[in-house]
Amino acid sequence: MALPNKNEILKPVGRIRVWYGGLILVLAVFGLQLFYIQIIQYGHYKAAALSDQLKQYQIPATRGIIEAHDGESIIPIVLNQQLYTLYADPTFIKQPDTLAKQLVPIVGGSASAYSGLMKTKNTRYVVLAKKITPQQQTKILSLKSPGLGTQGVDYRTYPQGSLASQTLGFVGVDGKGNYGIEQALNNQLAGKPGKLKAITDANGVPLAASKDNIDAAPKNGDTVVTTLDLSMQAQMEQILQQDYKNTKSQGLSAVIMDPNTGAIKAMANFPTFDPSNYANVSDPTLFNNAAVSNAIEPGSTMKILTTAAALDQGVIQPDTTFYDPAHWIVDGFNITDIEQDGGARQQNIASVLNLSLNTGATWMLMQMGGGQINTKARNVWYDYMTKHFRLGQTTGVEQGYESAALVPPPQDNGAGIDLTYANTSFGQGLQITALQMAAADSSVLNGGTYYQPHLVDNYITADKQTVNVSPKVLVKNVVSAKVSQDMQSLMENVVQQHLAAGFPYLNFDSKYIVGGKTGTAQIAQPGGGYYADKYNGTYVGFVGGDKPQYVIVVYNMQPQVPGYAGTYGGQPVFADLAHMLINSSFVSPKSH
Amino acid sequence: MFPRQTASRRRSPALNNPLELGRKHKPDYWLLIWCALLLAIGLTVVYAISPALSETYHVGNNYYVYKQLIAISLSLVAFFITYKVPLQWWKQAYKPLLIIAGLATLMALVLPVNPSYPAHRWVRLSSFSFQSVELVKFAGLIWLSSFLAGRIRQNTITSTSKTLKPLLYILLATGFVVAGIQSDLGSAGVIVAIVGSMAFVAGLPLGRITLIAAIVLIGVTLAISISPYRRARLETFIHPQSNCQGSSYQACQALIAVGSGGVIGLGLGSSVQAYGYLPEAANDSIFAIYAEKFGFIGSIVLLAVFVGFFTRLKTIAERSTDDFTRLLVIGVLAWLSVQTLVNIGAMIGLLPLKGITLPFISYGGTSVVFATAAIGLVFQASQYTAYNTPKIKADNVVDKRNYRQNMVRRASY
Repeated sequence: MALPNKNEILKPVGRIRVWYGGLILVLAVFGLQLFYIQIIQYGHYKAAALSDQLKQYQIPATRGIIEAHDGESIIPIVLNQQLYTLYADPTFIKQPDTLAKQLVPIVGGSASAYSGLMKTKNTRYVVLAKKITPQQQTKILSLKSPGLGTQGVDYRTYPQGSLASQTLGFVGVDGKGNYGIEQALNNQLAGKPGKLKAITDANGVPLAASKDNIDAAPKNGDTVVTTLDLSMQAQMEQILQQDYKNTKSQGLSAVIMDPNTGAIKAMANFPTFDPSNYANVSDPTLFNNAAVSNAIEPGSTMKILTTAAALDQGVIQPDTTFYDPAHWIVDGFNITDIEQDGGARQQNIASVLNLSLNTGATWMLMQMGGGQINTKARNVWYDYMTKHFRLGQTTGVEQGYESAALVPPPQDNGAGIDLTYANTSFGQGLQITALQMAAADSSVLNGGTYYQPHLVDNYITADKQTVNVSPKVLVKNVVSAKVSQDMQSLMENVVQQHLAAGFPYLNFDSKYIVGGKTGTAQIAQPGGGYYADKYNGTYVGFVGGDKPQYVIVVYNMQPQVPGYAGTYGGQPVFADLAHMLINSSFVSPKSH
Repeated sequence: MFPRQTASRRRSPALNNPLELGRKHKPDYWLLIWCALLLAIGLTVVYAISPALSETYHVGNNYYVYKQLIAISLSLVAFFITYKVPLQWWKQAYKPLLIIAGLATLMALVLPVNPSYPAHRWVRLSSFSFQSVELVKFAGLIWLSSFLAGRIRQNTITSTSKTLKPLLYILLATGFVVAGIQSDLGSAGVIVAIVGSMAFVAGLPLGRITLIAAIVLIGVTLAISISPYRRARLETFIHPQSNCQGSSYQACQALIAVGSGGVIGLGLGSSVQAYGYLPEAANDSIFAIYAEKFGFIGSIVLLAVFVGFFTRLKTIAERSTDDFTRLLVIGVLAWLSVQTLVNIGAMIGLLPLKGITLPFISYGGTSVVFATAAIGLVFQASQYTAYNTPKIKADNVVDKRNYRQNMVRRASY
């Protein structure tokens, strides 16, 4: 047995030491590199780490609900419901086919679609289904499948269905309000999302509290209590739907306003849409609340304002009579009445309204200028339209896409401004929305105070504080109290005369006062002039007891009716609404 | 239980070249202490990032800790087997071991793969699975020690035909299967490093080793150039910041983890990178997580523990009186140290990323069990070392017999 000689022992030991020396050398280099990375370059890597790890989040605030009056009680018309979005992280899903088959009985849909999604490469988030109910969510979670997750999402629900949908608007997938109150009051309703700045895991889930975390709680949105009366609104929508059909209309809008506060009690248009199904609406104009966004030439309903302005200036009196030549030549154009059977004769103020005399309204405008349409007449009338009746500007009602409409400026533009102004005196050549009309006529009828039209009664903040919204007076002395009283009588007279002329549906109980004015408006043709065969029917009226309690404005777009659009398309709708208000006891009768 | 190594036994006409072991004495408990320390550190880190792992991989809270504890229990069993079954037996058992390793590799290649880890690296037997390459390393280590020791005995260690050629063939075959088919270039590299280290210590002429190194280098270059995936990894390594969202993602995140640890680290419970940012946080990337938690100081301490552990192995190798034992210990040292270097080097941006675990620290049953089994062999070998590394100059040795007696006598602590 050979024993090791010096070479056998020493050679390996020497080589072991060389080898070991190399190992230690490399480890020493590692130590230096660690020193470089962890100490010299620490700032760089710390910053890189934070830029990956520190994420800023918004904690969503719960959107405020919307409520409305229903008699004495207040009930919600827009609520939130938490549904879930089902998503998958494909990297954790080992058996997509089996899992997809398990999902189908719970969520519905097709197994092949799910498994296809779950096999998506290079992503860690695929949405499998939306609007999962809490019950479905529980079942999905009980599958205990890694890689499947659910995310709560708030959706709006509408316990009253499509009621007042165009006034309410809807909330889009981005959580922003679109149209109506949802858009106009988006900030109050949305609240303020909380902020969370936190170190998170790679999926963005915040880790345990760290000193780098910043946390600000969300402020939930306010509850909005509207001025709408649900029962009135519902009955109005029924009436509009029926009359829309009866008059073969292109669109029917109505506003019921409390003239003594500016509160909108009911507001609707037909056709309309279902807000819980807004995504399937093919015609986006259905989202518009036409009563605030659709400005038209109102036609003869304007004569209420013309008369009120002339009375308020004292250039005419309620009992003034004048010679009506049955036509005026203004700027070379012939202004006539639509109905030319009367001929030239002596007329009075009541018959200007009752017979809807364009020549009469033009004569009133002339009186404002001292006998002719001139700069003074235009300026005064313009002043009344824009400063008193606040036409040509948005009312500021809590609605999205409100139209400012249009009042032509009084300056001589060399293109027949006098003719334009003569036209405005009977409601052509200018545009007014139904809501502007309701607010202006309310100010005429309530004694002369212009209240800003509003839809919000009060806000209830997230911490249950009620913030009342008091009626906001924008103009005092729109007209004098006496003019207001005169206008009320003149409008009552119009209804009486029409009743006598053979519209029995205008027969109202004598315990109530009812007044109104029709309007048959010509429709401007693109490129100038008016359509010969198309008219909009409008109606402005009021219902009350001791005083006007509701101002009603009806805009009926191009009704297919046998007679005047105002008389046969606007007036019956007004009558239906007025009867509804009286029959449902919304109106307090005269006290004596 | 086992026959004492007496002079008469050693001298008897040996069955299959009996080992020239020194007198049996107490084993080297320091080796166990270092080893246990490393395991404890590893288990602590796995425990500390368990919440992150359970969230990222959707498993129970202490799933990884339990699995690691089971692996450590298995390791203890393996350790006692390798410690108690005599080295002589292991030396002779290389054939069956190689056959088992070969069969395991074959099974890994044939058996269906896990879709999330498509390479044919795992042998799956119902609930139990292991990486075949670990078994190959273990069996190959024993065979190589035996082979080289035999060549030393035959004085043919410098022979090209008897030593170098077989080694080259073996390297090529292993390289073909492990790097080529299993696509595990990291493990192939570790095997090459083990063979190279053992051949170096066994006394192969340096010229030949250089030749092998050159051939291996060419092989590696070929392996990289034919695979776009490896080219991308190399590209990643050379320009780590260029593509942090793509192929460099893991390398970048590892550097961020290490760098953001700073001097003292974020603390045991405070790793962020484990929460889904750094892939393989418990396995290949565990050093980066450790460095994030414990900072520069902790990293240096861990390196120091490794140095202590390696030094222990080196000392046992130096003091081994028997060629087989010495080569075996060197092989184990090369195995564990090269894996450590490759793993940590990748985490600190000095080496390209390879799917190599950090011995005893990384989560992962196979690597812990086989590493501990290897330590069992070394622990057994440490019972038969000389007391000192021989310092006597060869000239001072009166005769060979005296030299041996001198060593053996002094070898009892």
